Amino acid sequence: MPLPRWALALADDNGRLGSTDAALALGTSLSNLDERALVVEAQAGNRAAFEELVRRHDRDVLRLALNLMKRPEDARDVYQEAFLKVYRNLHRFRFECSFYTWLYRIVTNVCLDHLRRRQARPEDQAPEVNAALHEEGITDFFERQREHRPTLDPERSLFGKEIKARISRAMECLSPRERIVFEMKHYQGLKLRAIGDALGTTEETVKNSLFRATRKLRNELGGLR
Amino acid sequence: MSMADPKLTCQDVAPLLVFYVCDEVSEKERKSIEAHLAVCPACSVQLAEERELQQAMIAAPQPADEFDASGILLAQCRSELAETLDDLSAPPVHERWSPLGWLRRFIAVRPAWSGALLVLFGILLGAQLIPWIQSHKSNNANLQAVNVVARQPLTEEQLDKMAIAGVNFSTASGSGPGTVQLQLSAEQPLELSGNVNDGDMQQVLTYVVENGERFDAGVRLDCVDALKAAASNQQVRRALIAAARKDQNPAVRMKAIEALRAQATDEAVRQVMLDALQHDANPGVRVEAVDVLVGSLERGPSPAGDVPQMAPSAPPGLPGMQADALEGDESVERVVRVLQQLQHRDPDRYVRLRSAAALRQIGPRELQ
Repeated sequence: MPLPRWALALADDNGRLGSTDAALALGTSLSNLDERALVVEAQAGNRAAFEELVRRHDRDVLRLALNLMKRPEDARDVYQEAFLKVYRNLHRFRFECSFYTWLYRIVTNVCLDHLRRRQARPEDQAPEVNAALHEEGITDFFERQREHRPTLDPERSLFGKEIKARISRAMECLSPRERIVFEMKHYQGLKLRAIGDALGTTEETVKNSLFRATRKLRNELGGLR
Repeated sequence: MSMADPKLTCQDVAPLLVFYVCDEVSEKERKSIEAHLAVCPACSVQLAEERELQQAMIAAPQPADEFDASGILLAQCRSELAETLDDLSAPPVHERWSPLGWLRRFIAVRPAWSGALLVLFGILLGAQLIPWIQSHKSNNANLQAVNVVARQPLTEEQLDKMAIAGVNFSTASGSGPGTVQLQLSAEQPLELSGNVNDGDMQQVLTYVVENGERFDAGVRLDCVDALKAAASNQQVRRALIAAARKDQNPAVRMKAIEALRAQATDEAVRQVMLDALQHDANPGVRVEAVDVLVGSLERGPSPAGDVPQMAPSAPPGLPGMQADALEGDESVERVVRVLQQLQHRDPDRYVRLRSAAALRQIGPRELQ
């Protein structure tokens, strides 16, 4: 697969030794710079430094967007919108929190906007991943999970799809904020305090959101038993 | 488990189990929960369910795994972002200056209207704009001669090449110098206007008088007339003296002598008068010289002191002049001697009569 354009651009910039990049002038590559130095370079207009920052975080950002939006095109929109916001507002970042937190604050806000817009348009709901399984009368979610998880047989694949479909449906019951909290806690592995920082709220509020989300999910999934 | 909080009930523990499973409780809460779980089977079951739910959620395939297992979507996103950043770095298209963009759009949308408007525009251009440009151009040409070129100091080369097209001299109503207008035909048409004391003006007039052979007699006459008001200037005086001596035209010489009247007490000027009396071929010039000399003797001594002071009261027959005061003055004696010669020898009768009258005006002299 050919290199993407951003990779070529990065190589060009590294070879060019931009005047603002003192570290580069000393032979240090951008990938060796710590995040703070990268942010400083990016704030000074170093495009390569910005792209390195993107490269360090965009995998998680896209994963979060995919899990929340459940549609690649929507996730792509979130990705673009979020990083463009970062690019345009990077000069305002004053290191009062970590860049990671600041980035996720932007990403989650973009996700929330998209989710709220989607909620306002029922015709624009995310598609069921596999609605057929739901119609087959599979009842006990936890039983099926316990039986099939360790195996690699075809049944496991089917069961994985079943779980996914059920979870997907259950997640639809959550509010956008609850979905983000649940996603960031369980799939991104963030601590509640970090989630609170990213969402611009307190840890206590995030706790409440997580508790409500878990209760809703349990009701949705457990009710099938 | 004896350390368990005795107040912690099932109702207290239940909401904490969610956070206990995902390791989001404090150390104190953890101990209390574990102490309660040790003695409460119901809460232990609930904990197991909670743990199963969370493990199931975590273990379940996620949309991200399905949609971007190969990382292609990530690469696409990076590529699109790079392109967008390229666009942001380049000047935005809508901000590029395209002054005729609206015109191009109009022409594209309405070609017939555009053709008609173009013809109308051409007619208007031919009927109005071109005559206006021509008139504006001629105005500019005039303005250039007066306001721009005339302000530049004249060089020797310009003076050598110039010709006088016209001179207008108007004397001032008061004692100040009159106004002169000169139309010069130099490399570019040039009009000078101002009084005779202006630097450029004086330079041109003096040049004309000193280089009389190059200019018309009428021009020279006007220039001498104009310079009369500035005769006290040494350079002007020198030019007038030269004209009085050398100019080919007697009218110009006469005018130069007249122009020097106010400076006749100057020794050089007086010498010019005497030379004119003795050598000028034109009787009018000689008469003018006599008048100027007599007038100078009436007015007083020369600045150099070579002419005696006028007496406070003149004797009868010699108005304004005391004969004794004039005695012994070499300059006056020379004047008297020349006049005496003229009254007898001048070929022109009027000159002889005028000289005799002048001698009588000066008074009886030993030389007489």
